Amino acid sequence: MQHRPLLIGALALTMALASSGAGVQPAAAAGDTIVFGSPISLTGNLTKEGHLTQEGYDFWKNYVNAHGGLKVGNKSYKVEIKYYDDESKNDTSAQLAERLIDQDHVNFLLGPYGSGTSFTVAAIAERKKIPMVEGNGAAERIFNQGFKYTFGVLAPAKRYLEGVLDMAHSQKPAAQTVAITAASDAFSQEVAQGAAAWANAHGMKVVYNNKYPDTATDVSSVISALKQANPDLIVNAGHVQDALLVQKGLKEQNVPAKAYGYTVGPDTPDFVNSLGKDANEVFGAAQWSTAVKYRADHPGFYNTAKDYAKAFEAVYHHAPDYHNAESTAACLAFQYALQSAGSIEPQKVRDALAKLDVTTFYGILKFDERGLNVYKPMVVNQIQNGKLVTVWPRGLAEASAQYPARPWGKR
Amino acid sequence: MQLLGQDLVNGILAGGILAVVALGFSLVWGIMNIINLAHGAYIMLGAYLTYQLFQTFHLDPFLSLPVSFAALFVLGYLVQRLLINWVARAPVLTTFLLTFGLSLLLVNVALLIWTGDTRGVTTSYSGANFSIVGITIPWAKLYTLLVALAITGVMHVWLTRTKTGRAIRATSMDIGAAQLSGVRTAQIYAIVYGLSAGLAGVAGTLISLSYALTPTMGDPFLIKAFVVCVLGGLGSVQGALIGGIVYGIVEAFATQIDVTIGTQHISGSGLQDAIALVVLLIVLIVRPTGIAGKATA
Repeated sequence: MQHRPLLIGALALTMALASSGAGVQPAAAAGDTIVFGSPISLTGNLTKEGHLTQEGYDFWKNYVNAHGGLKVGNKSYKVEIKYYDDESKNDTSAQLAERLIDQDHVNFLLGPYGSGTSFTVAAIAERKKIPMVEGNGAAERIFNQGFKYTFGVLAPAKRYLEGVLDMAHSQKPAAQTVAITAASDAFSQEVAQGAAAWANAHGMKVVYNNKYPDTATDVSSVISALKQANPDLIVNAGHVQDALLVQKGLKEQNVPAKAYGYTVGPDTPDFVNSLGKDANEVFGAAQWSTAVKYRADHPGFYNTAKDYAKAFEAVYHHAPDYHNAESTAACLAFQYALQSAGSIEPQKVRDALAKLDVTTFYGILKFDERGLNVYKPMVVNQIQNGKLVTVWPRGLAEASAQYPARPWGKR
Repeated sequence: MQLLGQDLVNGILAGGILAVVALGFSLVWGIMNIINLAHGAYIMLGAYLTYQLFQTFHLDPFLSLPVSFAALFVLGYLVQRLLINWVARAPVLTTFLLTFGLSLLLVNVALLIWTGDTRGVTTSYSGANFSIVGITIPWAKLYTLLVALAITGVMHVWLTRTKTGRAIRATSMDIGAAQLSGVRTAQIYAIVYGLSAGLAGVAGTLISLSYALTPTMGDPFLIKAFVVCVLGGLGSVQGALIGGIVYGIVEAFATQIDVTIGTQHISGSGLQDAIALVVLLIVLIVRPTGIAGKATA
């Protein structure tokens, strides 16, 4: 019994230290500040992507604040973003969104990272009638609910791997068969369906199509089955962690293919850093790359991808990847919608978002009636000698694709 | 047929790692009756330690095994002595909370030190493999399995043949009787917990060869440890090994389940976890003490 005070002390200490991860930030300011709220993956299995998202948001915020704030109507507003760590959990993300709206009284929501979290947060945005623009949830499921307050700047999940398939199918010798592996989460499943549909429509044969749990710690049996199908092209829909697991597994079992394509993975520096030479010649689908040639048609931010990349790198010491850019783009959607609404009233801003049609360094920002940016194409990058270069579509290519892939160990 | 053989091999290789993951977890649960939710965090620390030694000193992961073991043993020993000993005999929920808190703490410290970047240990022999009768075996995973078997063997001998090992087993059977016979149970508990953390460190090192590193990487392994432990039999060294390998094989075969009933297409891939849990249920119905567990009073 005499141990009890110590026990309580130890528990309290542990819990206090653990919960400090959520961070304490100043409460939302009123008046001349527009406060955005975002539950975001600062811990959990999507930590990496969550941080990239946050960088994209903060980069925009700092730019705007350094340039005199946002001019809405006749008034200039400072911008603030309030974050909570959603631990990469869907339900936590939704709870935090509710807290941001009810307790912190944020004006608008910027999306969390990922389709699962974006989906649950979209439901909250809808109920509270607070507009959300998200740049990191590409599953169409989010947009097929009839929600009126959620807008996504991404090309939809179904189109993610189209570029990779198209690229491999257009090479000589053309890839005729494809194997599709996908994690079991909503986004990856939609990507896989989209890829299979594209392949079927364009005369490519899907010789293997299967999923693995998104918490898989071993995918060797999926790889064994895929190897038996002997595909020309292997594509994976997943996230960084399983992309690494799959790529290592393919080498371990010596799976020969003409090309290997991933959704999330090759674009983050982690992929090359973790795999070294084994990352070479891998293709990655991307929403954006520094090679895109869009030119902004509205003032108020960097005009081109090159300018954005240069300024971004000066701040964060790494080149922006597409997660950074799409997150910044979500902020830009708000910036231009706020300006055209001339008001910070949620309903007016929502209506302005629905009518938005601007081109930015990231590409076109325009939403269909579901709130989805179906107007923007994907690009394909390839890792060549440890460097990420854009290889598709041809008009944007910085280099031609290295195809077919050389044998394992010779890359 | 060849695919079945390959799956059997895949399952056994994956099961070897799971056996080491579960071994430490099983010891603490079986002997101290503590469900150690910090086990996944210890695995993560072992993996990061390996990564750091590999990055900084180019130390081969297999050579860093003793370092991971020693470092995590010391950490575990201290945690037990300074924290858990106070609540060792408290209701199970208390130790549950304490180890859960500890896990959160360690994961967040790792996040501060190594950030959320996904990392990997890719050695020069990473992915190297050989084939027998059409079945591909990666060298690194084969070595991993051998290490797992060796560790299980050493642990078994140590627990049955040495004085400390016997004291540990005595404490687990009847703590009162052990104390009366002169066993310093607080010390024994600290050794067991240290050993468990050390084994988690070893598991982390082995995992780093194939799995990507993030601060939360231990979570899925913690859940698997739980299942493997119950499957094999609590607190039993052989149980962890058998449980791990059975789990690995079940997962591997589950991937290939592919049946069509009417218009309904059912694929086992993606449901590996669920299928493994069904197998666990069946085992528990047939043998409530697990495959290698002994009935205790």
